[in-house]
Amino acid sequence: MSPALACRGLRVAYGATEVLHGVDLTVEAGESVVLLGPSGSGKSSLLYGVAGFLPPSDGEIWLEGRTVATPRNQEPPERRGVAMVFQHYALWPHLSALDTVAYPLRRSGRDRITARRRAADLLDLMGVAALAERRPSELSGGEQQRIGVARALAREARLLLLDEPTAHLDAPLRAALVAEIADQQRRSGAAALWATHDVTEALAVADRVGVLREGRLVQVGLPAELYERPADLWTARLSGPASLLALDVVERNDSQAVVVIEGRRHAMLLASDAASAPGSAKILVRPDWAELGGDLDASVSARWFRGPHTDYRLATPVGELELRQLGPPTASVGDAVRWRLKRGWAL
Amino acid sequence: MGAGRVLALLAIAAMFGVVIAWPLTRLAIEALGSGTAPFIAALGPEGVDAIRNSLLVALAVTALAVTGGFALALLTEHARVPSRSFLLAGILLPLLVPDFVSALGWTRAFGPAGLIDRLTGVELPGLYGPVGIVFVLASGAVPLAYLLIVAGMRTRAEPDLERAARMSGANGATALRTVTLPLLWPVIAAAGGLIFATTMNTFGTPAVLGRPAGFATMTTRIYSDLAFSSTDAAFERVLGLALLLVAVVVLVVVLTDRLGPRRTERGSIAGPRAATRPAGRLPIALTWTFILLTVVVPLLALVLTALTRAVGLPPLPENLTFANFGRAIDSRTMPALVNSLLLAGGTALACVALGAAVAIAPGQRWRRRGSGIVSLGFAVPGSVLAIGVLLAFGRSLRDSLLIILIAYVAKLWALAARPIAAALDRLSASGVHAARIHGADGPTALRTVTVPLISPTLIAAGLLVFVFALHEVTISILLYGPSSATLAVAILNVQQLGDPTVTTALSVLLTLLVMLCAVPLFVLRRWWSASLVG
Repeated sequence: MSPALACRGLRVAYGATEVLHGVDLTVEAGESVVLLGPSGSGKSSLLYGVAGFLPPSDGEIWLEGRTVATPRNQEPPERRGVAMVFQHYALWPHLSALDTVAYPLRRSGRDRITARRRAADLLDLMGVAALAERRPSELSGGEQQRIGVARALAREARLLLLDEPTAHLDAPLRAALVAEIADQQRRSGAAALWATHDVTEALAVADRVGVLREGRLVQVGLPAELYERPADLWTARLSGPASLLALDVVERNDSQAVVVIEGRRHAMLLASDAASAPGSAKILVRPDWAELGGDLDASVSARWFRGPHTDYRLATPVGELELRQLGPPTASVGDAVRWRLKRGWAL
Repeated sequence: MGAGRVLALLAIAAMFGVVIAWPLTRLAIEALGSGTAPFIAALGPEGVDAIRNSLLVALAVTALAVTGGFALALLTEHARVPSRSFLLAGILLPLLVPDFVSALGWTRAFGPAGLIDRLTGVELPGLYGPVGIVFVLASGAVPLAYLLIVAGMRTRAEPDLERAARMSGANGATALRTVTLPLLWPVIAAAGGLIFATTMNTFGTPAVLGRPAGFATMTTRIYSDLAFSSTDAAFERVLGLALLLVAVVVLVVVLTDRLGPRRTERGSIAGPRAATRPAGRLPIALTWTFILLTVVVPLLALVLTALTRAVGLPPLPENLTFANFGRAIDSRTMPALVNSLLLAGGTALACVALGAAVAIAPGQRWRRRGSGIVSLGFAVPGSVLAIGVLLAFGRSLRDSLLIILIAYVAKLWALAARPIAAALDRLSASGVHAARIHGADGPTALRTVTVPLISPTLIAAGLLVFVFALHEVTISILLYGPSSATLAVAILNVQQLGDPTVTTALSVLLTLLVMLCAVPLFVLRRWWSASLVG
């Protein structure tokens, strides 16, 4: 089966400014791929290019094995058979929620009654059946986006483009809607290409994550890969909290290493393809890769109680370390504590 | 409320009373005081003719101009056009040409012995009369319709709304029909209403093209009744026509304003903005042909006539001369030019001062109400306003510049007040609050925060009023006296005498003057719209 989407060497420019510098990306049928990147990294441009609103200046786009865009030839958006959920909802001010969701069904040739019946079902699916007669101006942001998702589902597309669908919602709403969108997308069997700048969202819903930096895909991989083995420091910081320690590696095989901290040998998990030779190294440590207890010295320089867990910032002889411990705080700012390093990632 | 604020409000109220309320009240008293006589006079055969002509011309012009403006807006906003800025300049150029000047241009281009007649032997049939009037007024109104519709497209139809339609399977035409147009109806209706009202009010073009053919509209009938007959019956007809004119215009403006753009919540525009699809060749060719025929050729014909030694000579190099300009500036037109500049300057200063005084009126609601009431002056047809001012102040100020100034301020006040009030609305209160909390008192905050932020708008509003006053003719033709004629009036009077070389030379001078004043307006507009967006 051909992939739902394939981009080869895709370049996109606004006038003289190129915003995508040759992107290669494949989304398999039914797969959910998340584009993670800060604003201005080209996420939206990639989505709008796939949708058919921005022509490639170079490269090609295939949908299910069919060429839809080359620099010379672009299939118009309505014939690409993809659906989109917009960042600012893009609901039509003159249509009720029901007519909005019925709109794509009418365009695909369903008669009025069938279209409205199906639209009502989709509104029900998204939990907004009661709002069928409302206009966008009478709806909250969350309600608007639920209707936006229902509209995209009504398109019955094989690929769903989601342009930061929850960026303008409050945090608690956001997590719930993200989970629902992911759930509905999986049920519909459609592939999805999400854009987001929120790493927790990306890690939660992605089959694979692609990291975009200034118009280039710098890393594509499983969410766990991205978290545990980021390609560089920039990607590491983008994909979650990270501390950087300067350590002396004295022994090393595949994934085990012995480092020296405060003159003491210390065995830990250490993975990296690069920098295999012993010597001084910059080691990335995630907050859950270290724990309190053990035999290393540090003092607490800051502490935040988060409910299920507590975050500490420790001042250690090898650098500043963010550390996460389950449960309520056991040490205060200024306290001397002991800690242990479980694993790291050599950059 | 501080004393300064009270004083400012009183000054505004007094000014409003003098220039708008009192003249209109005087007119109403005069008209209603004579019972039904004015209406009976207005509904006589000549009156009915004028009313029918005005309505038909206004309807035709509105339909043509709105259709043209919408088509052009679609072209420039929805597609990528080559040499876009030239195209825009071509579309907008007529805004800078006084309408009677373009009427003159059309006669020199498409009339008998005109430029096209000379070149190809073809002339536009019916140029003198309704057909010509409709063509000239419609081509002049297209840029206005275009600007209003483009503004509407930019605020009401976010690009993502149309993209959402395309993503739902609608093709370009379906998206236009089901999303773009329904969202734009209010804007189109408002543009139509405005163009209908301005066309009903216009005097210059029907005077130039209608009078030779014996085709009278309400405004030209009012003028000829007022200027050339002194019978009571004629004056009664003037009153009757004036009231009917005001009734129709206000009705249309109110109706379309109801449909007009309602304030929608401000949504930021997501997604790329630029139109990336190239426009088709046919629409571009049609647009350039339209610009060539309605703008370039008439202006060229006007300039060539102004440069030709004598009427009837072909515009060949050996016949060209600047002498007409020398002849045009004589003891009659020089004072007229000075009068025009004085009036335009005075009106601009007064209108900006009044508009800015509104800045210290308390609160957005008052400002909006204020600019709403002031709009009355703009909505009331110039001829009607002039008659009101004549009735109110004619005894003491007849034939003076001051009486024209009063009518101009009444007419153009809203033109300055609206953008200034809008600029004030856009200012977030937090700027002033921040100034106050950091130690500025009210006047200091006004001086250091509010005024600097709205100063581009103040300048632009002043220039806008200046340009409008410069080519105003509907009012001044009814109010001028021996020593208070404006340049526009002088042109129309010379034109009646029938020397096209001098008339066109004067027209070219007036147009150049208008364009000169408009250059800073265009430069500011970019800054202005940038500040509007950012």
